[in-house]
Amino acid sequence: MQTAATSPAAASAPPPRASRWILVGGVVLVSLLALAPLLSLLGGALFGEGPGGLALGVDGVEQMRGTLLLVAGEGFLGAILGTAIGWLTAVCRFPGRRWLRIAQLVPMAFPAYLLAASLIDWASYRGLRIHGLGWAVLLLTLANYSYVFLLSTESFSVSGRRLLEASRSLGVGPWSSFFRVALPIALPSIGAGVALSAMEVVNELGAVRLLGVPSLSAGILDRWQVDGNPQGAALLSLAALAIVALLITGERLLRQRSRRWNLEGRDAAEHVWQLRGWRALLAQLVTALPPLCALAIPVLWVQQGWQALAAESIGELTQLASRSLGLALLATGLTGMGALLLAICRRWSPQPLVQQLSFLAGLGYAIPGSVLALGLIVLGGPLGISPVLLLLWGYGDRFMAVSKQGLDAGLERIPPSIDETAASLGCNWQGVLRRIHLPLLRGPLLVGSLLVFVDVVKELPITLALRPFDFDTLAVRVFQYASDERVGAAMAPALLIMALGLVAALALVPTLERRD
Amino acid sequence: MRPLFFRDLSIPIGMGALAATTLASAIGVASLAQAGPKDVNVYSGRHYNTDKQLYAEFTRRTGIRVNLLEGKDDELIQRLRSEGSKSKADLLVLVDAARVYRAQELGLFQTIRSAELNKDVPANLRDPAGRWFALTRRARPVMVNPALVNPKLIRTYADLSRSELKGKLCLRNRASVYNQSLTADELVRRGKPATQQWIKGMVANVKEPLFTSDTPMLRAVGLGQCGAAIANQYYLARMLRGDNGADRAAAAKVKVVWPNPTHINITAGGVTNSARNPEGARKLLEFLASPSSGEGYASANDEYPLKGWGNNPTLKAFGTFKASSVSMEQLGRRNREAVELMAQAGWK
Repeated sequence: MQTAATSPAAASAPPPRASRWILVGGVVLVSLLALAPLLSLLGGALFGEGPGGLALGVDGVEQMRGTLLLVAGEGFLGAILGTAIGWLTAVCRFPGRRWLRIAQLVPMAFPAYLLAASLIDWASYRGLRIHGLGWAVLLLTLANYSYVFLLSTESFSVSGRRLLEASRSLGVGPWSSFFRVALPIALPSIGAGVALSAMEVVNELGAVRLLGVPSLSAGILDRWQVDGNPQGAALLSLAALAIVALLITGERLLRQRSRRWNLEGRDAAEHVWQLRGWRALLAQLVTALPPLCALAIPVLWVQQGWQALAAESIGELTQLASRSLGLALLATGLTGMGALLLAICRRWSPQPLVQQLSFLAGLGYAIPGSVLALGLIVLGGPLGISPVLLLLWGYGDRFMAVSKQGLDAGLERIPPSIDETAASLGCNWQGVLRRIHLPLLRGPLLVGSLLVFVDVVKELPITLALRPFDFDTLAVRVFQYASDERVGAAMAPALLIMALGLVAALALVPTLERRD
Repeated sequence: MRPLFFRDLSIPIGMGALAATTLASAIGVASLAQAGPKDVNVYSGRHYNTDKQLYAEFTRRTGIRVNLLEGKDDELIQRLRSEGSKSKADLLVLVDAARVYRAQELGLFQTIRSAELNKDVPANLRDPAGRWFALTRRARPVMVNPALVNPKLIRTYADLSRSELKGKLCLRNRASVYNQSLTADELVRRGKPATQQWIKGMVANVKEPLFTSDTPMLRAVGLGQCGAAIANQYYLARMLRGDNGADRAAAAKVKVVWPNPTHINITAGGVTNSARNPEGARKLLEFLASPSSGEGYASANDEYPLKGWGNNPTLKAFGTFKASSVSMEQLGRRNREAVELMAQAGWK
């Protein structure tokens, strides 16, 4: 096992000069596209007109505190839950393991705002109050722990199997093996998952509003739209950005401390630990609880108000669903290509500019969707860009990080020596990319694409703000009903969003299965 | 590590991309027909299917097609503001006086002269300068569970600070724009010190935590967890007329108490400054404000028409009220002051 603390761009099969410039040009273009709306907004906010006041104020401090508590709570719970389930389903064997592994994909399909709205609605019939920070942390964890699970389980499955067997044959117990061998290897992936889920939390608007938790995302919108104070909104946006930059930097540091290139055949499908008796039962309980909770909420909700489903027109629902689907597929393709370009360039180009640009291009995930959308309106209006293109631009900007995180972590596991070997055997850089990197990145690419797809289907603020006339999607319709407090009427489109997400999540099953 | 893997992947990805592009362009083309010169583009903060039927009726009568974009009120205001003179919107429909006033202050509306609108919309429900006109009225009465609170206790909003209501009063939080407008109404009628006392008294009575929406709050009143709450009338009407038995049962236990005077709010519309078809937008506004279609626009959400009580049986059963004389323009003007006062007096 090699360890190093150098930049991953240590490969010595760099592309020739001309192609390198094309690649760097591509990175600059993608990053500029990602940063343009933010820069236009910041410029407008800092140098524009409006009631000034670059102060956080009492509300700002409360909102900051709320978001930090949410991030800390969800990050902690999500990391533990996602890692534990990832580990249990990847290297332990217990009855029902295969199904439970697939079941982890269920909560991904349910957006936090839907979980919150349906749970509050259902509980209010019974005189229960679902409100406040504790519930918010629980629901956000439920909606987002899959990020950690997917990335960690992928890492546990493909890395360190042999090391684990070795440590086991040396008499190291399962706990020590986990903490001393598997965890350090999986740390980059876990970190990436936690960072992603924390960014989701920073950005969450609907659920935290419904649960009455003050948050930066709501604060940014209110200052911007209600108080007409773009400077104040920009300040809060910077605070949100700072939190996210800290998350990403922290995750980077973790990675650098634990960089271990590790590649083994995936044929080592020996399960390391057989669980029996109470241990198996506990494993079943831990892995079954989150998907069951996530499923129970909509099921209870439908059971409470199924009458509302009868009033829906099938034709309109089909139209809404096909729009959501088309947008999500297009956005997934575009985002995947952009992220691949950025990730590959980071590996090959030691230039700090490229490194920093690709870092910055992932920040769009941290900006509240509505703010991003406003930036795009400011940009796209004068340029006369069509609304659908603006919409795709917004999605690409927002979800670039989702695609990129997994790819970066995946590339880090590939030792540079492989690139060197291929180069010494006369393989040019395109060959290395096509014959080595892409096949090895298949898992992260698929996981990333799937996450982007589900995210776009669920996405609300950008779609709401940028869509053209008479162009509603499922999420938009859910929002319209829910914001009028007609939660029952939102049921049919909400269930369709969940169904689309589930179908997409099930596309991952072969990937998970093949490793078994 | 065989390149085959990637080929495996590239075929479905390619096919998916192709399918997606085809699908998206098909959808796009179908629903992105260019707005013709005779179309009216509406940005609306309302989301009712029956609105679309009214717009279709308007098209049938005038030949003017209506293209609709529904969204959050605040966001539509910002969108219109960012689009500036390039905006395609001809008509902006917003819910709540404070938001209408905000759009007016940002210069998003143009002045229109229309004898019909001046006849159909009462003076206190439109902008004196003719930039916006109310289309429906909504009221925010007190909802009481008679088993817990004697309805006779409450004659005005001020009575909600009485000590008899301690621990029985449920409220929505400060973020509720309807509560902000109610506070502005009190400010205009009773002045700052009295309004501050009123809020402090209510906060002392309130049962925590505050609600983030009206409907769960009304269920809590019906289930006997709250004795009294302030909510818009249409939330209760919707529960009573809905298809959910549990909701109907809870709503049946709630009594509407009309304070004297009762605070009212509006949905309003105005022709945008950037309108390419201001003529068509004005016609649509006149159509929506006219007594016959206005009734339809109001009943879509169990609201009151601009004049009188309408024909909605559920609303008729709630009885009648004496509306506050504070004009919508004043509610908008005093909104910021009201929100600051709420924050100072401890309304979370």
